[in-house]
Amino acid sequence: MKQFEFFGKQVSRRQLLTGTAALGSVLVAGGLTGCGGNAQASDLRDIGFWHLLSGGDGIKMQAMINSANQANPGFKVHPTVLAWGPPYYTKLAMASAGGRPPEVAIMHASRVSGYAPGGLIDPWDLDLLAELGVTGENFAPRIWEKSQQNGKVFSIALDSHPFVMFYNTDIASKAGVLGGNGQLQEVTSPQEFMAMAREMQKVTQAHGLSFGYLGSGSQMWRLFYTLYKQHGADMELIPGQPMKVDRDAAIESLEFMASLFDDTIAAKAGDISTGIAEFARGDSGMLFSGVWELPTLKKAGLPVDAATIPTLYGTPAAYADSHSFVLPRQLNVDEAKRRDVYKFVSDVLKGSISWAEAGHIPAYQPVVQSQAYRDLTPQIHYANAADIIAYDPEAWFSGSGSDWQTYFAENVQNVFLGRDKAAAGWDAFEHRTNTLLSRPNPV
Amino acid sequence: MSSSLASRRSTGQPDIATGIQPQPTRRPSRSRTRSNLSGWGFATPFLVFFLVFLVWPILYGLYMSLTGKSLTGANDSLIGFANYAEALADADMWRSLGNTLYFTVISTVPLVLVALVMAALLNVGLPAQWLWRLSYFAPYLLASTVVSLFFTWMYNPQLGLINDFLSKMGLPKVAWLNDPNVAMWAIVIATLWWTVGFNFLLYLAAMQNIPAQHYEAASLDGAGAWRQFFSITLPQLTPTTVMIVLLQILASLKIFDQVYQMTAGGPGGSTRPVVQYIFEAGFTGYRLGYSAAISYIFFGLIVLVSVMQFAVTRRRSA
Repeated sequence: MKQFEFFGKQVSRRQLLTGTAALGSVLVAGGLTGCGGNAQASDLRDIGFWHLLSGGDGIKMQAMINSANQANPGFKVHPTVLAWGPPYYTKLAMASAGGRPPEVAIMHASRVSGYAPGGLIDPWDLDLLAELGVTGENFAPRIWEKSQQNGKVFSIALDSHPFVMFYNTDIASKAGVLGGNGQLQEVTSPQEFMAMAREMQKVTQAHGLSFGYLGSGSQMWRLFYTLYKQHGADMELIPGQPMKVDRDAAIESLEFMASLFDDTIAAKAGDISTGIAEFARGDSGMLFSGVWELPTLKKAGLPVDAATIPTLYGTPAAYADSHSFVLPRQLNVDEAKRRDVYKFVSDVLKGSISWAEAGHIPAYQPVVQSQAYRDLTPQIHYANAADIIAYDPEAWFSGSGSDWQTYFAENVQNVFLGRDKAAAGWDAFEHRTNTLLSRPNPV
Repeated sequence: MSSSLASRRSTGQPDIATGIQPQPTRRPSRSRTRSNLSGWGFATPFLVFFLVFLVWPILYGLYMSLTGKSLTGANDSLIGFANYAEALADADMWRSLGNTLYFTVISTVPLVLVALVMAALLNVGLPAQWLWRLSYFAPYLLASTVVSLFFTWMYNPQLGLINDFLSKMGLPKVAWLNDPNVAMWAIVIATLWWTVGFNFLLYLAAMQNIPAQHYEAASLDGAGAWRQFFSITLPQLTPTTVMIVLLQILASLKIFDQVYQMTAGGPGGSTRPVVQYIFEAGFTGYRLGYSAAISYIFFGLIVLVSVMQFAVTRRRSA
């Protein structure tokens, strides 16, 4: 048998291995108790917080977390930032199903209906929130209504972020489409809007409007759903039944969108970033975009103003979603940590004026009514959007960044590229949706 | 090492290392059990991983495919073959399966042929062989994310290297990843660049094992380079080709990474492979049971391909 020298003693290999293993387990055990001891000594509760804000608004969120941490010596919030869309929601669902989710997370309000019925998230305790000064009256009616599922509040909205129209005031002024108040003239029909865009195109010599959509179902959906809701039409997704939809309104909206992409009013084909870059260069007068692009546009030094997308079909409407706080279901709820989460959320809501700087409309009304918010331009020019916002129709498969929006792109992109008729694209999407509705509901 | 030990044992001399008398050839059964046990002991670490991470998931997946199991934990009762029936009637499943097969065909052919041509070119005796070998093989070492990022930029319709080159040549620009008719080919080109090095290396090694006498004898008989290639090199490479084709088909059927990262299955679902559809059904669509059923349908298809391949090879070698 092989022998080893060990401090001058002859040790067999087996003895050496056994000894090493024993030593290792002692070290591990010692290390573990050491950790527990440290945590108890400092008495700081760690709060896990997942969100999907990675752009300019991510920096604002970090600042709000820092100030909440400073104001509350009892806990420390540790954010984890994950990629927007399917990767985020997949991980959040799996963490909740596996019983090891963060204490608090951000979700799009439109995705809550896919989580709440399956028991992945817990409802909020309204009494505890009220103690901290947050009640239903602090939210705009549409937003508060959206927070609820089956009569319980499952999400607390931080903001609403509608799809709006940015415009370049220099170009608008040269094109003679500014009103007396220095804001864009009101237009009320598709024809008027297109005429205005053509005027702007004469100034820029490139395009009147920027709207990049290629490859992004979310982006196509945002404009489509805005226009669709402007028809005063509803859309309902009830499992086991065909989709309830106003087909004519849907097709008219698609046709109008397709007619914009004629290389004069707007570029025939381009992706989101191409559209933003074009507007930022001054090669177009208007940009359809989410409010979250505001910091980028301001940084570009543009003379930029904003408004909700003009009401072209009679009923004011704006596609929107809300970043909302949710409580992922814990295997064992730590009451102290739950209280900390409530305190953290109420602090962030009350400090959401800095969130407004990132373009979002704060959901917490006392902030919106403050003078500080009234002084923010152009944010104040689209603040009315909160009253006309339209969230995605509810279903387990709908919502921001969902596969359903990808299916939308798969069926209508060819309409926008002029390769397919609007009716054909819409019918294919409706068929796809009906297939989903006929499937067993997994939540 | 083991052979020298064995020979030492057979001479009946005491083993120098251990000083133990050699065992007679027919050992008592207790000792055999003992040596069996230590054999199992050595195999255990592997076995544990094999059972926990391969056998168990395969069986559990099969069970899951017969349930309505969802990611949210709701509704995991047995529902028989309902998932299979639904999958077989699911147009999107068939479409993604078709995409995977399409990719497998149009990627396997160039991945084998180009590797063969590259190996043959190198084998004629270019100088600095190590440099060629390295540069052909190096891309294979990259992560799929890196490769996807490279090609996404090169394929960019406005800023991309490839379209820039095309327009300098006076050719029209191509929307590589945004045109449903082109996107799959763009992914094949990226995959070719990325993984051809492995097949190339296998071919090169096989070519260098062909005895030089064959070629000498052939040239004495007046055979030219082409004749030698088709009558000596190719037939000698047959076992290697069979192995490469088999490995390549299986690798191509697994296509997911590049597509997910470069087009996410778009445009219009024209590049979505079946593995991505399985991922979407299970993880973003929550329906784990349904997703497991599609996996098993796909698994059946792979088994079918392998059996066909096996039959063809056996007939050829017989």
